[in-house]
Amino acid sequence: MSESTFAWLGERIKRRDAGSVFLIAPLAAFELVFFVVPFLILVRMSLNANADPGFYQPAWTLEAYRAVLASGLYRDLVVFSFELGVIATVIAVSLALFYAYAAYRATGLRKSLLLFSIILPLLTTLVVKTYAWRPLLAPNGVLNDVLVGAGLIGSPIQFAPGIVGTVIGQVYIVFPYAVLSIYSVLSTLDWDTVEAARDLGASRPRSFLEVVVPEALPGIAVATVVSFAWSVGAYAAPSQLGSGAQTTFAMEIESLMLTQFDYPTGAAFSLLMLAAMLVVSLGVMRLLTGSIGGVEGV
Amino acid sequence: MASVTLSGLRKEYGDLTAVDGLSLDVDDGELLCLLGPSGCGKSTTLRMLGGLETPTDGDVHIGGEPVTDQPPYERNTSMVFQSWALFPHKTVLENVAFGLKMDGVSEDERRERAREMLDVVEMGGFEDHDPTDLSGGQKQRVALARSLAIEPDVLLLDEPLSNLDKRLREQMQLELRNIHDAVETTFVHVTHDQNEAFTLADSIAIMNDGQIEQVGAPREVYDDPVSLFIEEFLGDTNLIEATVTETTETGVVADVALGTAVELPTGDASVAVGDDLTVSFRPEELDVERADAAADGSPSITGEITDVLYRGSTVRFYVESAGEYLFFEQSVGADSDFAVGDAVTVSWDPADLLAFAADGDRVGGGGA
Repeated sequence: MSESTFAWLGERIKRRDAGSVFLIAPLAAFELVFFVVPFLILVRMSLNANADPGFYQPAWTLEAYRAVLASGLYRDLVVFSFELGVIATVIAVSLALFYAYAAYRATGLRKSLLLFSIILPLLTTLVVKTYAWRPLLAPNGVLNDVLVGAGLIGSPIQFAPGIVGTVIGQVYIVFPYAVLSIYSVLSTLDWDTVEAARDLGASRPRSFLEVVVPEALPGIAVATVVSFAWSVGAYAAPSQLGSGAQTTFAMEIESLMLTQFDYPTGAAFSLLMLAAMLVVSLGVMRLLTGSIGGVEGV
Repeated sequence: MASVTLSGLRKEYGDLTAVDGLSLDVDDGELLCLLGPSGCGKSTTLRMLGGLETPTDGDVHIGGEPVTDQPPYERNTSMVFQSWALFPHKTVLENVAFGLKMDGVSEDERRERAREMLDVVEMGGFEDHDPTDLSGGQKQRVALARSLAIEPDVLLLDEPLSNLDKRLREQMQLELRNIHDAVETTFVHVTHDQNEAFTLADSIAIMNDGQIEQVGAPREVYDDPVSLFIEEFLGDTNLIEATVTETTETGVVADVALGTAVELPTGDASVAVGDDLTVSFRPEELDVERADAAADGSPSITGEITDVLYRGSTVRFYVESAGEYLFFEQSVGADSDFAVGDAVTVSWDPADLLAFAADGDRVGGGGA
């Protein structure tokens, strides 16, 4: 029975029209149940009125959107979120470019170690590995002990909780994804072209800029969008390594939903940020990939 | 333009010695082919010449100046890579202008000179093309133009023709010769293809196991190979074992495995009775006639044709005698129509035979 079922299925798949439907059906069903439906619920929720006491008051109103856009507090949270996003992305992508280049150039055991040490942190949950930074960065933590012991600083600095810890934690979270995005593109680089550039008079930094960076640009674009989207929406790093001053909009939405039980405002805030991120991500992607070949003209 | 001198050059990778004490002089404006089988160290030698590898020991001089410790971007050499290595994110014109840009030549001037260079390699009109859209032959021309644009003292070519099909390769060999004559630059061309080396070279240096076996004009190397390795590498030939039975005033007499004794005009070379030799019977030096034809007194053997191989424009015949095989070739148009089973007489002029001692060195210096 199974033989003929598969044969029938195979025949259907070979006919292009029906086949594509069969192949995409499981994924489409998953997306429908776990993304589209909750998303529509969220849209509907954002149009309700808030209620006190209670989670929401059924209605059709844009009141929640007006409340979010009018709030000076929320605007500050969004500005901080974007600042954190830009800082973490710039640091993570710059470091990732050199790390990916080092991994590309390395051979044998060294290459395996470089790639393995990037994959390894992905096997630990986000919360645990972010939390692990606290004893390292705390005022009485390892880093301060070393710096004070070496006489570099007189008294301990509070890296965490604080902005330094938040940025370090966020960079640490997105760094592996940035490295893998860039490495995957860089691995197709023909080393001969770098040698050709040097042979034609380009110094090492110049050959990197002229040949390696343009080749890596699609990977840099992906790394930037992934790091930026994730860092703007940061939750784990600021909540575990930040102080009260490092509150992101994601933390505020969590508070709206789970502490203040203001569902419509939380939903409206989410959707507004989703739209903003979509626009920014597309802009970044276009900016980076559009400049390929135009990095430096003749 | 500059002469090149390599002296005592060595390159080791861990336990592996790629280049083993190599010395070589290339004259100003010469086109030298570095010829050898794969793995003989010829590409490593070229890369050390370009500064892409640092020698373990030994020196490189270009135009009399020591450059051994100079990085590639400070040397005025330029390499055409086997993969051509064009910059995929730059246009053809940007590729060719790249070296001039690195030298700080102004934008207008480098565009102008890059255009001229593209005309030299007959790629005018392709300025704004994406190099990834070009055919192999076109990429090869652009790579050549890019390297020539900086007017290098020495142009290094690392088997740039090996990825082209046969017809295009032969056409490019001729063009490369013409370009060499036009630009008057010293070329060092690495290849494993002896035909390419013979077509191109002013001078051929044959490498084996990280060392130069022989250097000379193509004709000289072919007519007077110094070792069995070169005789085998330069072309198909019949190598037959022999044992010295007698020494004479002019050379030796040896028993050849074909079942006959031959006189070898080796001069007063140091061979003794009982020494083992390898004798090369080059197919083009063999005269073949039907066994019933009148003999002309030359030394000869009689055998039977066992195989006939059609190889396009030529036909190769194998003749068996005393369990050994000799082959000779005729062009397809020849009217001799030998067939399998025919008895033939193969004769030669003893002066055309080349003899090699057991260690591979040539015995005597006679030859053709």
